[in-house]
Amino acid sequence: MSANWEPYRPIRDEPWDVRRVAHLHRCAGFAATYEQIQRDLRDGPDAAVSRVIEGKSPGAEPRAKFEDLSHELADAAIRSGDAERLKAWWLFRMLFTPDPLAERLTLMWHNHFATSNAKVDDLAAMHRQNETFRKLGRSRFGELLRAILRDPALLVWLDAPANRKGKTNENLGRELLELFTLGAGHFSEDDVKQTARALTGLSASENGFRFVAEWHDAGTKTILGTTKAFDPDSLCDLLLAHPATAHRVAWRICTTFLGQNVASDADISALAEGLRDHDPDIGWAVQTVVRSRLFFSETNLGAQVIGPPEFLVGTARALGMFDPPPSTLLLADWSRRLGQDLFYPPNVGGWAGGTAWLTTHAVLSRANFGAALLHGQVSATGAAPDLSAIAQRAGIAASVSAALPVFNDLLACGQLSDAQLKSIADRAGDSLTDAVAMLLATPEAQLA
Amino acid sequence: MQRRRRFLRNASLVALAPLVPTFLEKLALAAGPQADARILVVIQLDGGNDGLNTVIPYADPDYAKNRPTLRIPPKDVLKINDQIGLHPAMRGMADLLHDGRLAIVQGVGYPNPNRSHFQSMRIWQTARPDAADAQTGWIGAAFDNVRERKSAGPDAIYVGESDLPLALVGRRADAAAITGLEDLALHVATPDISPPAKDEGNVKAFVRRTMLSAYGTAHELARGSQSAARTPSSYPDTKLGGQLAAVSQLIKLGGGTRIFYASQGGYDTHAAQLPQHESVLRELSGAVKAFMNDLKAAGLSDRVLLMAFSEFGRRVAENGSLGTDHGAAAPVLLAGGTLKPGLFGDPPGFSQLPHGDLPMSIDFRQIYATLLEDWLNIPSAQVLVGNWAKLPLLTT
Repeated sequence: MSANWEPYRPIRDEPWDVRRVAHLHRCAGFAATYEQIQRDLRDGPDAAVSRVIEGKSPGAEPRAKFEDLSHELADAAIRSGDAERLKAWWLFRMLFTPDPLAERLTLMWHNHFATSNAKVDDLAAMHRQNETFRKLGRSRFGELLRAILRDPALLVWLDAPANRKGKTNENLGRELLELFTLGAGHFSEDDVKQTARALTGLSASENGFRFVAEWHDAGTKTILGTTKAFDPDSLCDLLLAHPATAHRVAWRICTTFLGQNVASDADISALAEGLRDHDPDIGWAVQTVVRSRLFFSETNLGAQVIGPPEFLVGTARALGMFDPPPSTLLLADWSRRLGQDLFYPPNVGGWAGGTAWLTTHAVLSRANFGAALLHGQVSATGAAPDLSAIAQRAGIAASVSAALPVFNDLLACGQLSDAQLKSIADRAGDSLTDAVAMLLATPEAQLA
Repeated sequence: MQRRRRFLRNASLVALAPLVPTFLEKLALAAGPQADARILVVIQLDGGNDGLNTVIPYADPDYAKNRPTLRIPPKDVLKINDQIGLHPAMRGMADLLHDGRLAIVQGVGYPNPNRSHFQSMRIWQTARPDAADAQTGWIGAAFDNVRERKSAGPDAIYVGESDLPLALVGRRADAAAITGLEDLALHVATPDISPPAKDEGNVKAFVRRTMLSAYGTAHELARGSQSAARTPSSYPDTKLGGQLAAVSQLIKLGGGTRIFYASQGGYDTHAAQLPQHESVLRELSGAVKAFMNDLKAAGLSDRVLLMAFSEFGRRVAENGSLGTDHGAAAPVLLAGGTLKPGLFGDPPGFSQLPHGDLPMSIDFRQIYATLLEDWLNIPSAQVLVGNWAKLPLLTT
């Protein structure tokens, strides 16, 4: 393993400071409250990162009660047939979860195996897929891949039921090779055709997954140079053993948790190699990245554009909006306006992410969201966060210029300079709400 | 309070000065018939349009043979000549053709076609089949070289629900992405953003520049829309219709943007193709006709050229699920007031089908070269890596 993946230790030039604590929570979770940041500053990086990895951040609700509520909300959403309510259910989880990393990984796999309800049109199936991502999100990649090839939503999405012996449909085969495992450039057109044959028989109906033996083409196929009577299972073995698969998983994890181009090709290859030594254990790779020197390095601070749910939920969580919380239905709609309509990725490739999040519309929506949240317009009851209470708990007078540094730490990883804070304070006059809204509309508030 | 608000507005306008044109400048620009006021509108048909069922060789027995369930009966085809006709859902396009405002280039592709949506779309967007890692698009790269900026609006605006297309990404060119005009309203005072510092990382500099440009666009639109014509009601109530109506309004506002880009999904017809394909072609055809007629009524017909393309066509032979799989060459459609109407390129020939696909007769870079040089007056050789033979598509 390269030195970049060794665990971070505070040094003089890279101290364990509020920037790094906020960075940890914004990059691997959904931001942190003032109290959580203070706790992690005291406890040091090992304890802070372990809490993130183990999913033991105390939530607003005890875990059992949180899961009960989550079940109820999901069931009601599915029964209603209203996709907005399923999106709201997921945002509820992001907002209240004691394990933010699990939701971040669920988002990552939703992007990797991007499936849209626009075609699937089945909320129960979309929910089930989402739970699979959550359950297997940090397991071994092979387990996840095999589960996803039995996932009704994905199979319908990629036309698997129409892919039958003698009349193949290449949709699933191509994306399995290009997007889910090897990546472009590692297979030929003929591999796609033969892979499609190997996948015949996979199907889904309203009762869930089924394998239809008479639709399966049991003949021999040559895939990536190996000839045998491949079926979905032995095809998975072949793909999982291929070095390009580990590389793609390593790349996916790096692009999720690190800034654009922060990990070099050599870093990604080293992580991929480690993954192969660990029977592609996703959890191991995620932990390695989030604990690493690279993750906490100066180059990686503020190098990542945070995604829509991270920005929305992170802002609400950082401001301690748990009781009453913002309306999750409204948050779901804001996420769409910011460019990530949950359960409706733009295509099989998912969302490009990174700097591509910042379309003109999304930039304006982020600024508008900040103002709306602070003015109680993202709440069913008109509730706005109590900014002066946050300043008070931090032991600071609620004057704009005195309080702004606290919100700089909470909402922008402390990246704004004193001069920038002063310029905002000058322009906002005596309104802390206006000042924080303006702070949320700065470039720094979009970066972690 | 009132005074402070006005100060905020002015302060941010000062910060954005290079991005915000005065309204007078915009009027002058909109009125001027100079060459670089010409506008190109690109519609990207996502998923791989079945060209064979769009511009149909209805008289060829091989067409019927290859499409036992998916063929369009000759009696339904909107005939262009005794061999070729348009899909029956394309009445609007047929009208444009009869009015001399539609050109069809047949058999457009590139050598060694790639059948991956992403890679083939990437190739069309970058015009670099040889460079899979190209980071700029053909339009973005072309505008990188245009430096005497007459206007302050972005070089290109994408109207749609996807991410900014790579085609518009340049190293210096700026592009904006919106889903509709209502997206461009700002309901909050924005902070001063200093331009990117020299030593700032790529991402930070990008974010700074992007946010400056976004806030600038919002301010500009807020000023301009007070006097702009309202969206005409003549557009069909479809997604693409809405996108083109927004494009029309942005053109009429005269912000100086020369490239508009829209996209329409739904062309990836692997299964049960007939109703789906009919519906997307109807949406395309209706929206384009309304757009062209709107521009004509506004006297802008001669300044706007539209091109519709897809990343590939589909296999000649239908698959087993009443659909078609990814193929290769397909037609490109052009609409405008200054083009030579009718058919260009060879009609689909079935005698030789490499890998079961129609052979290409025209490289898409020939169309790009024609549009860049003859329409936009931008040199094409560097962007397209070579001197591509242009096509006689334009009358001016």
